[in-house]
Amino acid sequence: MKLITHNMLTSKCLKGVMTGYPLAINATDIKVTEVDFNPEFITRVIPKLDWEVLWAAANSIGHGEGLPKTLEPKYEENEDLLKKLHRVLLEVEVEEGNLTCPESGRQFPISKGIPNMLLTEAEVQ
Amino acid sequence: MNDENKSLRKRKRFAARLKSSKGILCTETPGKYVVLCNAGQATGLEKDYIFKLIKEKELDIPLPKFIAEKGESHSFLVFPTSEDCKLFYDTFNDKAKADENGTPLYMTFVETVPNTEVICQHENPKGLHLLNNFITSEEEKIFLKLFDWNPETNNLKNRLVRHYGYEFRYGSNDVDLNNPLIEKIPNECEVLWKRLSELGFDVGVPDQLTVNKYQPGQGIPSHVDRHSPFEGTILSLSLGSDVVMDWKHHSGKYVPVLIPTRSLLIMQDEARYDWQHGIQPRTWDPVIDHRLENGRNIKVITSDTIQRQTRISLTFRWTRSGPCQCTYKTLCDSVEKASPDNLEDKLASNLEELHVHQVYEQIAGHFSTTRHKPWPKVVQFMQGVVPGSVVLDLGCGNGKNILRRNDIVQIAGERSSGLLAECKEHIRGISGADCVRLDLLNTTLRDETADVVICIAVIHHFSSPARRLQSITTINRLLRKGGRALITVWAKDQTKSNYLLKSKQDQLNETEPETQVTVAGVNLPVHENRTQFKHQDLLVPWKLRKVNENKLSSQPDNTLLRYYHVFEENELDDLCKEANFIIEDSFYEEGNWCVVCKKK
Repeated sequence: MKLITHNMLTSKCLKGVMTGYPLAINATDIKVTEVDFNPEFITRVIPKLDWEVLWAAANSIGHGEGLPKTLEPKYEENEDLLKKLHRVLLEVEVEEGNLTCPESGRQFPISKGIPNMLLTEAEVQ
Repeated sequence: MNDENKSLRKRKRFAARLKSSKGILCTETPGKYVVLCNAGQATGLEKDYIFKLIKEKELDIPLPKFIAEKGESHSFLVFPTSEDCKLFYDTFNDKAKADENGTPLYMTFVETVPNTEVICQHENPKGLHLLNNFITSEEEKIFLKLFDWNPETNNLKNRLVRHYGYEFRYGSNDVDLNNPLIEKIPNECEVLWKRLSELGFDVGVPDQLTVNKYQPGQGIPSHVDRHSPFEGTILSLSLGSDVVMDWKHHSGKYVPVLIPTRSLLIMQDEARYDWQHGIQPRTWDPVIDHRLENGRNIKVITSDTIQRQTRISLTFRWTRSGPCQCTYKTLCDSVEKASPDNLEDKLASNLEELHVHQVYEQIAGHFSTTRHKPWPKVVQFMQGVVPGSVVLDLGCGNGKNILRRNDIVQIAGERSSGLLAECKEHIRGISGADCVRLDLLNTTLRDETADVVICIAVIHHFSSPARRLQSITTINRLLRKGGRALITVWAKDQTKSNYLLKSKQDQLNETEPETQVTVAGVNLPVHENRTQFKHQDLLVPWKLRKVNENKLSSQPDNTLLRYYHVFEENELDDLCKEANFIIEDSFYEEGNWCVVCKKK
């Protein structure tokens, strides 16, 4: 699971859960795979993310170094920052671990890089 | 000397391969584990060969546990002690033959062996009673003599059958009560009812018997004995061979059960009415172990296998007439005939679990080999996505619609873990792509998160109008304002596609009644592949072929039925409008209705 995906996941479908966001990450295995750097792509994607959630998620798995807590304007000109974001969004992957719903404590296992977000009938609203 | 060097190099290469592929380290120090470097499942090695070696040399060691993973040309042995293991190594390394050509078997000690055991999470179905050693070996011989026969009679597609009392009619899965057979259940069986009654099972005397003869490699597809033609108890006596029977429940539970020879299986209650059972068509079965862990008795499906022998099963039933009175709705053929149009949500979900989710899990490998190419219209749509967009591919299957673009985010969501594993492999190296296991109806993604959603050949698997609408409403919820979706579904009208095969259509015998299967109280016709659809809600057979070393086996092993709701013209458009979408484009493409729509 890449952090860009984590930024969009929620457990709001669970019965009794109001927002279910963000999910806490507990990573037991993290993989870093290099992929081509595309600064324009990163620049375009940033406005679509919840920055605070990304910042906290990156820090929680030990990859938050160099990321500012709040995003400065003109970030698109800061190539160093874009490179760091490229790494944390696209190259860092949680291979094994789990995600936890902040309200209900329900855990979603991550195995072989894939988070299992399936819910049982009884769990959904 | 030269040979020794060669052998050393060979071992080093093997050790490096094993370390990188399995993380298993080879060692010079003798322990309990040894790997046979050039003999395994893929080279045709069987456990019996190893046992034969040990017996021929009259080695005084217990038989080891044998671990041969599918598709691998090496295998592992586990001995009780390192002394036993060393004696085996010293006796056979470079001395025994690995194959018929006389290549020497070479081996090395290893620190660990792969753990391929699976713990069975669920208990046996309620109402399933297995009475081991129900008959003696002497009695088994008598029964075998009585019921075994030569292959010329009554050949069913994949096994031999004969009937007593009434003929069991395959197709309608019942008996004709007006046409009893002259041959009744033989008197020799009376001992069975007496013994059952002594054990407290007061079931009376059955009036119908079907005898099946299974050769190793033959099986029976997963099924429930039809409810209304038979009473609440069904008995199965096994002769000649052990076998593993798989039990499946619509809640997703899956339980393999070892049925030993000379045992009597009693199916009542849930096991009789609410579970499906079947036997996989293979020549071997996994060894099932029972262990005590933390005071709990657990069932472990080991990687060890045992060869099947010819098995004869006697299935005793009690015939009846009138509608079934059971309380289990999902598999009953007598519940008020529901139409899929007003199917209760719970039943619709059960139907999909059995005839969509479980089927895709089983066919994932084979399915994927038949779905390489994305459809041109989907590619065209995906190529038009503007850079920086967030795209969701819901029901992505093996990920064939994910483009190799590094300027968009592509999140692939899928329910089947088998297909998703293929997808994960497929998207490797695509920078903005990732996989999530999810269900479209309860998608665990934030509202208004996507610029684009594609949902290709998915919504036709939802079995009620409410669920089909819910799936499209979910797509709407996930899109930002102005975001667009491409949705495609299978069309009922196949005349303008290359799906139809004229020869198949001509062969169709219009007078022959169609096969129907009752699921969740709905009678679903089984479709004849490559012919025109006659109904909107139906089951489409998938002839499963195994993938072995990247090759498809030439013969299907099993036929699985996938549920489809095939769409009429404008039906998809109407659903999209109901979900508050603006239709931008609507077209028919190769047997599919396709809609491009925009969120208001």
